[in-house]
Formats: sequence, C-alpha cells, structure tokens
Amino acid sequence: MSAVIETQDLRKVYKGISKAQDVVALDSLTLQVNEGEIFGYLGPNGSGKTTTIKLLLSLIFPNSGTMKIMGNPNITAPEVRKNIGYLPEGAYYPDFLRGEEILRYYGSLYGMKGPSLAKRIDEVLEIVGMSRARKRLIRGYSKGMRQRIGLAQALLSDPGILILDEPTTGLDPVARKEIRDLLITLRDQGKSLLISSHELLEVELISDRVGILFEGVLQTSGTIDELLTRREFTIKAEEAVPEAIQKTREAGLAPEDAAAGRVVFRVPENMSLYQALDICKAQNMKIVSVAPRRETLEEVFVRVVGSAVKNKEAQRGEN
Amino acid sequence: MSIWLASNPWLTVVYGIIVLAIVACVVVFTPWSIALFTFREGLRKKTLIGFLILSILVIFGSMFMTAMMYDTGGTVATDVDVKLIKDICITAVSIFGVLIAIFISASVVPTEIENKVIYTVLSKPVRRFQYLLGKFVGVQITVLVNLLLMGVLFSIALYIKEPIFPRMLLYSIFLTYFEFLIVSAFTFAVAAASTSAVLPTIAGLFIYITGNLTQYLESVVNRSEVSENAADKALGWIAWVLRYTLPDLQNFSLKTQILGLQINDTPKDIQIPNLVVYGMLYALAGYIIAYWVFRRKEL
Repeated sequence: MSAVIETQDLRKVYKGISKAQDVVALDSLTLQVNEGEIFGYLGPNGSGKTTTIKLLLSLIFPNSGTMKIMGNPNITAPEVRKNIGYLPEGAYYPDFLRGEEILRYYGSLYGMKGPSLAKRIDEVLEIVGMSRARKRLIRGYSKGMRQRIGLAQALLSDPGILILDEPTTGLDPVARKEIRDLLITLRDQGKSLLISSHELLEVELISDRVGILFEGVLQTSGTIDELLTRREFTIKAEEAVPEAIQKTREAGLAPEDAAAGRVVFRVPENMSLYQALDICKAQNMKIVSVAPRRETLEEVFVRVVGSAVKNKEAQRGEN
Repeated sequence: MSIWLASNPWLTVVYGIIVLAIVACVVVFTPWSIALFTFREGLRKKTLIGFLILSILVIFGSMFMTAMMYDTGGTVATDVDVKLIKDICITAVSIFGVLIAIFISASVVPTEIENKVIYTVLSKPVRRFQYLLGKFVGVQITVLVNLLLMGVLFSIALYIKEPIFPRMLLYSIFLTYFEFLIVSAFTFAVAAASTSAVLPTIAGLFIYITGNLTQYLESVVNRSEVSENAADKALGWIAWVLRYTLPDLQNFSLKTQILGLQINDTPKDIQIPNLVVYGMLYALAGYIIAYWVFRRKEL
C-alpha cells in the first residue's frame, strides 16, 4: 500500500521571546498515512496534532524535516492541493451566506464553475445530508449542520486525501454516528483519511491505523490490532463482604468496582486466572462470570501517555 | 494644458503604460471570488455601516443647518450657504471615507485568521499572493462603493441648493479615492503582519494624519536646520524621514478649490496622471510589503 502522506524527522519549534521560552511542538515526527486507510491521530491537548496538520497544509513551516503528499515534496503545488480536503476544528463559515453559496465560493477556489460546480454541490450536499437545508442561511444552522457543511466543502473537489481535525466534536450521538458512517463510506471509496480526534472510542471504531502523539513525539503507531494486544480477564463475584474484599486486595487482586456485595476484579498481568479464582474462592465469594476482555484504545492511550509523562519526569529528575 | 495630461507627451505615455500594466495584472491575477466575497462581507460590517450612516446624516444635516440659517434671519447669502454645505460635506466624506478605508483594510485579514476561515481558503489551490490580492481588491471595491455613495449624496445635497453640474466635486471624489487607496494599502500591509485589527488601524490613522501634515513636517525640518538644540535636531531628522518616506496626501485634496471656485469649474494647477501614478505606485508598494510579510507568516 503506497503512502499518500509522509513526514520524515519533522521538527517544529514555536519561538518564544528568549530561547528558554521556545516550545518544541513537534520533534522528529516520522509518520505515514497509506492510501485507502483511516489514520487516527491521537494525543492530548497541545501534543502537536494541529501543528502537524498545519504543516501539511503549509499554514506554518517546519524548522527541519521533509514532507511529501502523494509522493510530491512540493506540497503547495496546485495538483496536490486539489487532492486535499480539509476540515479545521471549530471553523467559522460566514453566516450571511446560504449553505450552497458558501460551497459555490469554496468551489470557485478550486477553479470549478458553471454546471459542473452546481452538479458537484448537489452531490456533496446529498453526501452530507444537507440537501434540504441548502437554501437556509448559515446563521440558522445548528453546530452539527455547520460541521456537515464544513465536510461538504472539504469534499468539493472529490479529493483523494481528507484531513479532518476533530470532525465529530460537539455533535450529538446520532450526528456522530452518521458522520462516522460517512467517513467509513469515504474510506471504502478509496479515499485516505487523517483524523485528529479526542474521541477515542470513535477512532477505535473506524480507524485502520492509529498514532499517539505526546509533547510533539510520536509515542506509538500501528494498526488497531497491533496496539490492542493485551488480553485480560475480568471476574464478577457476589456475596463479597467488605472484609473479604480487603483480603483479596491484600492478596494482590484489587477490585475494579464493588457495590452491594457485588464485585468486579480485573486480573493483573502478574497473576494467572487460576490464582485469581483461588483468591476469590478462599474468601467464600460466589463467582458469577469470568470473561476475557481486550484492552480498549482509551486504555492504551492512557497507558502510553502516562508512561511518557513518567519518563519525562524521570529525565527531569536526572537533570 | 489639459489636467489629464502629464507635463510632456512621453511622460503621459509612460504613465499610461504603468497604469494599464498595473490594472491588467490586477484583472488577470485577482481571484475575483475572494474579492467579491470580501466586498459582500465588508458591506455587512457594523462599523462601516455606522460610519456610512453618520456621513449621510452629516451631509443631509448640513442642508438643514443652512435652511435654519435662512429661517432665523434671512440675511445669509446663497454663496455662503453653498460654501457651508461644501465645507461640511467635504470634511464628512474625507473623515468617514478614510475611517471606512482604514477599518476595512485593517480587519479583513486578521478577522479571517481569528475565525479560521483563512485555513479553509489557503488549503485550497490558492497561493498566498492571490489570497492577499483578492482581499485587497475586495477592500478597494468596498471603499470605492462607499465613496461613490457618499459622493452621490453630496452631489444631491449640493444640486438641491445650486442646480449646476458638480464637475469639481467629481474630480475631488476621483482624487480622494487615490488618497484612500494609499492609506488603505499601507494599513493592509500592517494588517498582513498582525493578528488583530488594532495595530493596523492605528498605523492607518498615523499615515493619514502624517500624510496630510507634510507642510508642517517641512517647517519642522527647516526650523531644525537653524536650531542648535539636539532635541530639535533629532525631531528634525524624524520629520525629514517621515516627509520623504510617507506619501504626501495633501496633493490629492481639492478642498481649497472646491470652496474657492464654482462647483462646475474644472480644477486648476493639478496633473491628474501624476497623482494617479503616484497613488498606484504607493499602493503597489503597500501590496508588495503586505505580500513580503505574509508569504512566510505562520497562521
């Protein structure tokens, strides 16, 4: 599978008044988004996700490193730009225009005009489910409708690459599901999507590959299956009195949740399932269920970021 | 010699070529959708609408003022009456017109950076120089339309009092546009480097005020030359720098002629080609500075 977006050792420093105030937003970022995949780009606030996107769009410029889009190092070339659709986070669309007028404006920036532009506007409005609201002024749109219009403008040139910054933020559950389904459809049509998001569950549901960024450094990346390798067991038990729960804790099996005599244990890595069951039985608990579970992306994210924070603090301690 | 010709025929041809070249480049390279979008957006800016309404009130208020003067004594002569309207209206057009030019030039780019519209525009196949050119042309259309509107209202106000063709006024409006063009271009250049509209607005007001004080700057330079005081020398040096770097906007004013001559007269002692080329070259310099600072600006 060929890469449509590639960065190599990308570094971006935001200059402060003095050198001590410089902020390293990205450090040696080597990233690859492949053709026809959804790449989930994750990271806490200020980790460098939007900086990466701005660099790819030449809204800001790197201090070092290289970028290629569709194999072309000249990422501002018109043929490259025509192949990119971009939805910024929380973008504003002039509210004195109607939905179709704003699309006509953006379409004209691609050099589209006349019947072909009108046809394409009809198509993208249909894709994002906004055909009925096309004549309404944007000031009367809900947040979800504005996001859909934003997505429509990103799709106008029928680009091969879509860069979406927080595409579902602030949307209600139904709208989220619809946008999610739309993104999967676009991927199935062969488009490549780079999605920056805080919505870990959604990213897990739709992404083929994921990268986790923290303080400008790509901590890990891979397919969902590669990242979610940890298998764990949970044990649900009843008739667990507080003293018994305390004893299991002392034995190394801490409860994840406990209420009204019911308790849930997650078997730790250093303990076998049989050992955990024996501890429960020794406290006369009634085992209700034993279930294997896979680590979620949220847990991977918390673990990776937590580990990065610890490493950073350890480095500071050494210095 | 006609005021539409330069001091010699060859210069007229050269000036004609310069003007045509600049206009042709603007027509060919401007993304007109961005320009028209900027114009439509400009018409909706509350500050601009406020200035326009104020200017209309002042222009028509001047008529009521003169009418009241008639009512009270009936001794005011018609030429004084017309002179008062001309004085008030020219001042209103200049002040409100330049405020509109400065506010819109100062805000178009910083506003789009603030609300992130610029991200969606520059992620399309639009070069930064095209984006800036579209914005700049859009600003000029807005300024021109506002100025024409004020000029038409001014003409109506005058025509009601003195029903003759206001030729002098049309020349004045034409030259005032080029004055606004210069102020607008330099305000736009500062705006291209800023993230808010405050600094460019201040810069625009500074250029307009200083550009209209060139005689005063010259007298400061002359006084400093004969003074022994170090502070006077320093002030003289600053005045000299300002005098020879900033445009001389007084050249574009026909206020004295409008007040002194008949409104249907042709202006005297001016060469319109010189002023047009002067205005366009300063505007070009302003645009080039704007592009220079914007081409690597981090958004």
